[in-house]
Amino acid sequence: MSGDSLADDLTRRTQNAPPELLSRTFFFVCAALSIATTIGLILLLTTEAAKFFTFSAPLVGVEGETATVVEFLTGTEWQPTGGEFGVLALVTATLMVMIGSSLIALPLGVGTAIYLSEYASPRVRSLLKPGLEILAGIPTVVYGFFAIIYITPMLRPFIPGLGTFNMLSACIVVGIMIIPMVASISEDAMSAVPESLRQAGYGMGATKFEVSTDIVVPSALSGIFSSFILALSRAIGETMAVTIAAGSTAQFLNPLNPATYTERALPMTAAMIKLIGGDVTGGGLAYRSVFAIGITLFVITLAMNVISDYVAQRYQEEY
Amino acid sequence: MATNNEIEGFGRVSRTIGTVFRYLLLAATLVGLVFVTILLVYVAKDAVQPLTADPAWHLTFFLTLVVPTLAAGAYAYRESVEALRTGVFSVGFVVVALMFSGGAAMIFVDIVEPLTWLAFLLALAVPTAVTAAVVSYDHRVPFAAQFLATVAAFYLSLFGIPGPLGSLAGVPTLVPSLFDFVAGLPLAPAPWLMMAGTLGPPVAYVGSQYVAGDRDRRAHVLTGAAVLALVLAGGALGPFAGVDPVPGVVVAAIGLAPPLVYTAGTAANRPTERTGLVVPATIVVGSLVGAAATDALGFAGPQSWVDWAFLTGSHSSTAAEAGFYPAIGGSILLMLTVAVLAFPVGIGAAVYLEEYAPDNRFTRIIDVNISNLAGVPSVVYGLLGLGLFVTYLNQPPGTVLLGGATLGLLILPIVIISAREAVRAVPEDMRAASYGMGATKWQTVKNVVLPRSFSGILTGTILALGRAIGETAPLIMIGAPNVKYSLPAGLSEAASAMPLQVYAWSSLYASDGFYEQAVPAGVVVLVAILLAMNSIAIVLRNKYQSTE
Repeated sequence: MSGDSLADDLTRRTQNAPPELLSRTFFFVCAALSIATTIGLILLLTTEAAKFFTFSAPLVGVEGETATVVEFLTGTEWQPTGGEFGVLALVTATLMVMIGSSLIALPLGVGTAIYLSEYASPRVRSLLKPGLEILAGIPTVVYGFFAIIYITPMLRPFIPGLGTFNMLSACIVVGIMIIPMVASISEDAMSAVPESLRQAGYGMGATKFEVSTDIVVPSALSGIFSSFILALSRAIGETMAVTIAAGSTAQFLNPLNPATYTERALPMTAAMIKLIGGDVTGGGLAYRSVFAIGITLFVITLAMNVISDYVAQRYQEEY
Repeated sequence: MATNNEIEGFGRVSRTIGTVFRYLLLAATLVGLVFVTILLVYVAKDAVQPLTADPAWHLTFFLTLVVPTLAAGAYAYRESVEALRTGVFSVGFVVVALMFSGGAAMIFVDIVEPLTWLAFLLALAVPTAVTAAVVSYDHRVPFAAQFLATVAAFYLSLFGIPGPLGSLAGVPTLVPSLFDFVAGLPLAPAPWLMMAGTLGPPVAYVGSQYVAGDRDRRAHVLTGAAVLALVLAGGALGPFAGVDPVPGVVVAAIGLAPPLVYTAGTAANRPTERTGLVVPATIVVGSLVGAAATDALGFAGPQSWVDWAFLTGSHSSTAAEAGFYPAIGGSILLMLTVAVLAFPVGIGAAVYLEEYAPDNRFTRIIDVNISNLAGVPSVVYGLLGLGLFVTYLNQPPGTVLLGGATLGLLILPIVIISAREAVRAVPEDMRAASYGMGATKWQTVKNVVLPRSFSGILTGTILALGRAIGETAPLIMIGAPNVKYSLPAGLSEAASAMPLQVYAWSSLYASDGFYEQAVPAGVVVLVAILLAMNSIAIVLRNKYQSTE
């Protein structure tokens, strides 16, 4: 955004010349396309999901089988072919991915961020940062394959009876996948802490450890929290790794019980892939349930992004 | 912070906690990296099977390749760090260039006929020349006239008279377009000559500029002619080495010429870095000597699953015979489509937001909206593609165009965000200088902002493409086929993609055979291509960061 009045003054006389108008219109249309994408996404998800629910199907002129909102939001059985549409069975699995992966990614990500921003020499940084980018760039299918082929067999000696598909290895790979996200956003926040605060700490006789944990981290807390929320929203939306690693049986599990992580389960994203990638044809209730899950997913991730933005701005320390 | 009780232990600070903390942090940083590196080594081992080779084979290559390369590296390092860097860079350059030339050769062998390519280039080149002529003829030609002449020239050249507008009304073609005319020529030169004619001159021109620089005309002509000769030799001599002429030309022009030009340029223009060229030379000679020696002595190499048959074969229900060719080709086409669709729009949006947008509510909405779109899960974009294009617009599912459009929408926010950063990094002074010279906004964008931010934009867009090439979920949602036995013949045909093929092998064909052979091989190819793209982006970024 150029609120630059000098440039505006200098170009005012020519701003309505044909080449100027043409180029400005082109650039504006490009930017407006992102709004169109959002509107299209919301319209499509709501109209298609509306066909799924009993209360709204008549509004969009759809007859035939429907499911009630209560059934969808409170049911604990997910059997699309058997007419059971309890999304809780999927939501709990997604919650497990979120909890399990955050146990790995949040501590490691913040540790990485502190190291990169406070301790690493420029040379070490220039090696580690591209490494982390590559960590984030490896396709999620590859992570899913790693989970079933290498990680599950590695875990088996410690957890007897672990099946090929389980939530634990899915959580581990998703956790590794989102470390770079936590690390890079937290590190940006820590680098933004002014050098004078650190100098003040050293002037008071604080050690580097004390400066890092008592000055830098608290000052960057809003950024760190917003990185957590963004990373969790990424974990929720993560699709291929959990589709491959977590199996395809929907189960209602207790996410707070560690023992359930050895079970297989079906997170929301994996359920969508299973329905579309399987033999569900267009038009049926099972097909429309994909859009119902889709809008649930969209609303959750959107809410988390908005909260993350809000946290980052509302609680940001002003220097 | 300890403040009150510091009197008694004044001046004494325990370093233990600090040291432990420091190493804990380092460990936290390395855990993920080391873990994934180990997994990548595992998968590479499964794919390449190094242990199936004769120990003597390993020993031979250790002696002819590894030891001399290390020695050459040490020698270059002793001269200067820059020399070693140049050496390592040129090795990477050769590998990346050969990979891309393989992809390009694939397109010209199986998808685009050389004659069609030539026709298309001519149909674009002629109206471009007409436009340039109109613009430079007289600056007082009104803009509307220039614009109309340009549009008309492109329309005539690509569609003819009356073209698609006329065929809607049922008027037969009166004058064929330049494209149809050239593509329909009964007599055309040999395909490899057409390829050499289109690829050779640009490469030769860039090469002569790079190597000869500001030397005299003779040096320019000589280097240009040398590059051109290399490209022609690729086609003429390729058949003797078992390569067809067309891929021979493409590999020579894209895979061999640029690294050689770089080497020649280093040797001619940067004497301090010249020693670094020992490294690539040692590697090339070492591998040739090693290959010749193992061949002569009969030492068996590893039974790698990533072999020529895997790279050029198509899917099979037995893992040992399964190939990756349709998936690689599908991914290349998808990426080209994504690039064409997403980059102009993404860069345009970035320029609007940074250069034009007034500071009002609507701009802020676009701003927030873009950052939220970047957080929408990829599977939801797949739903958008499915619902919008397949259900409402009645497109056939799973085509290249559909996949490209869906992935393009997916990476659009990433492209916009990174392009904005690059545009913002252009110093304000340069814009002010341009305005001060009387330039308009568009002239400033065109002549100052975009050229200055070009490499930054390129870095961001390559990284975004790297994201798109690994995406699977949206492709599954729009109904891309799991198994495809041939390359798509055009943009409106269904295509497979590398990650999709890997997913199909590891879920639909799940068996020990696929887990141990085809999937690791596919993963290695996919990750190698990604690493090549990422390394280009990182090298570009380091270059423009160091020049600013």
